[in-house]
Amino acid sequence: MRILVFSHYPDLAAELVSAGSGLGDVSLLATSDMREAVSGIKGAREILICEGVESGDQETLVELISGLASDFDVILLSGDRRGRELVGQVAHRVGGSSAVDASGLSVSGGNLIVERMTFGGKAIAVEELALPAVVSVQKGKFKPLEEGEPSIREISPPSMERRIQVVERREKPKVGVPLDKADIVVAVGRGFRRKEDLKLAYDLADVLGGVVGATRPVAADLKWMDEEVWIGISGVRISPKLLIVVGASGQQQFAAGIMDSKVVVAINNDPKAPIFEQSDYGVVMDLYEFLPVLTEKLRKLKGV
Amino acid sequence: MDIAVLIKQSLDVQELRVDQDTGKIYVEDAPTKAGDIDLNAAEEAVRLKERLGGKAVALMLSTWGSSGRRQKEAREALTRVLAMGLDEAVLIMGEGAERADTYVVAKALAREIGNRFQLVLAGEGSEDNFSGLLPARLAAELGWPYVAYATSLEVEGDVATVTRSLEDFEEVVKVKLPAVISVTQEINKPRVPKLMEIVKARKKPMDAKNFSSSEEPKVRIRELRVPKVERKRVIIEGDKDEAAEKLIQALKEEGVI
Ligand SMILES: Cc1cc2nc3c(=O)[nH]c(=O)nc-3n(C[C@H](O)[C@H](O)[C@H](O)COP(=O)(O)OP(=O)(O)OC[C@H]3O[C@@H](n4cnc5c(N)ncnc54)[C@H](O)[C@@H]3O)c2cc1C
Repeated sequence: MRILVFSHYPDLAAELVSAGSGLGDVSLLATSDMREAVSGIKGAREILICEGVESGDQETLVELISGLASDFDVILLSGDRRGRELVGQVAHRVGGSSAVDASGLSVSGGNLIVERMTFGGKAIAVEELALPAVVSVQKGKFKPLEEGEPSIREISPPSMERRIQVVERREKPKVGVPLDKADIVVAVGRGFRRKEDLKLAYDLADVLGGVVGATRPVAADLKWMDEEVWIGISGVRISPKLLIVVGASGQQQFAAGIMDSKVVVAINNDPKAPIFEQSDYGVVMDLYEFLPVLTEKLRKLKGV
Repeated sequence: MDIAVLIKQSLDVQELRVDQDTGKIYVEDAPTKAGDIDLNAAEEAVRLKERLGGKAVALMLSTWGSSGRRQKEAREALTRVLAMGLDEAVLIMGEGAERADTYVVAKALAREIGNRFQLVLAGEGSEDNFSGLLPARLAAELGWPYVAYATSLEVEGDVATVTRSLEDFEEVVKVKLPAVISVTQEINKPRVPKLMEIVKARKKPMDAKNFSSSEEPKVRIRELRVPKVERKRVIIEGDKDEAAEKLIQALKEEGVI
């Protein structure tokens, strides 16, 4: 099988090469502005470098990847937002099948078999995809390879009329310790009444040496966090040793992002909140009463 | 300018029951509804139409079979967005639609859209599957540009200015219409229709069409299973001091603090 992989993120591109190498011969595509960034990636047969295309130009990327597709059976993209934006467009352009967020890939009977989460995380679907198949791969599922020096091949850009023009880009603040790498996470929800009150959660995280994450409404709608990162099916999936969920209801789309946590604690004043179903330890109490006490006791314990 | 809004009849995943022990997923028992983010797309269409004139039409292709209950739910979902202010709805259902994948649905919706609309709005992902594949495929089928993850949207003449939210940055793009644009939950707060508006919405045109397609789906679901998540579900009792101490004790025993 011939596999084409592309991601805007070099670390994810390395994971895709690894995912693809389990299926066949991998070609890694990069735009010329990514030349340096992908040069250390191992395990692909070749790296295709396209001159004259900028990685931020989604419209041209659709054209470029679709144009290359006839030489490949499977195209793997990454599960970030721009990756997902490409999947459906490329799949349709090449008359292929598609799936997003694959956590497992294999080949059987001339089809690509994909495992992925569905129903907001309540089920895992095993799907049979006709070839050619275009699939985005879940972050963190495949370990980058350590061997295999690829050859480099330069390719020319597609010529096309562009209808989308990027007029401005505003960087978002960078996250300190990424949530998906943290050992201890305190996750805050709309149970907090004011942005300033999040200090209660930061204090708790500080004593434990953890980081603070949030539900989508707190991060993206209220914009109470310094950086716009949330936990859940449309954000990041986390896998800490300890997760303390405070004032979040535990709706399915959030719950899907915490399933791989080792120990989950929930603090919520509504005994019927679904989060208690998703937790190992639950405390039914007002967070404003409980958090200061918990933090203080932990502080004494840790002597900090 | 006429706008089409894609409304998916989504499984209400919050209500979906799964049995960890038997692995059974009670899909048939769970209700369906218009996806939450679809309501944001509907709201945005109503706002644009109020400013720019033209019609805003809801399009739904129901893939849940034609049982009385699922039909009723589909109509309820559409009535809801009509009550928010959309003008008309088109409901496509029938034999074969249950097997349709995004490839087949995109083809069928593109036939319905033709050149009747200048803008198609959708949610960034559906409530029950969250793949975001359909608007992307639809754009490719129509040969229109696609911009996803809109957090704000302005239209002037035949150009839409979209602010979109990506992981590392926000991007402002200008896109030439016709186009397909998908929106996030943050773009607006969907209005909650009043009872009177719901009553009136029942009189708005709802065009029921028969699904027909010669295309074969490219994806087949082989199996659905329940992920294993073992949780202890211990509720810690006592006043705040006792509860805090018991919790700390438990976490020590787990070896996580
Ligand atoms: C397709 C789709 C994708 C989505 N993706 C995500 C996602 O990735 N991540 C995500 O988080 N959401 C996502 N959502 C939104 C999700 O459905 C929920 O709306 C959201 O997770 C709820 O956030 P919350 O728990 O902060 O708020 P709420 O649901 O409002 O919960 C607040 C909780 O705080 C409790 N509370 C209130 N006051 C106190 C107090 N004083 N002390 C203790 N507890 C208190 C309440 O009992 C309640 O349970 C998505 C939705 C859709 C439709």
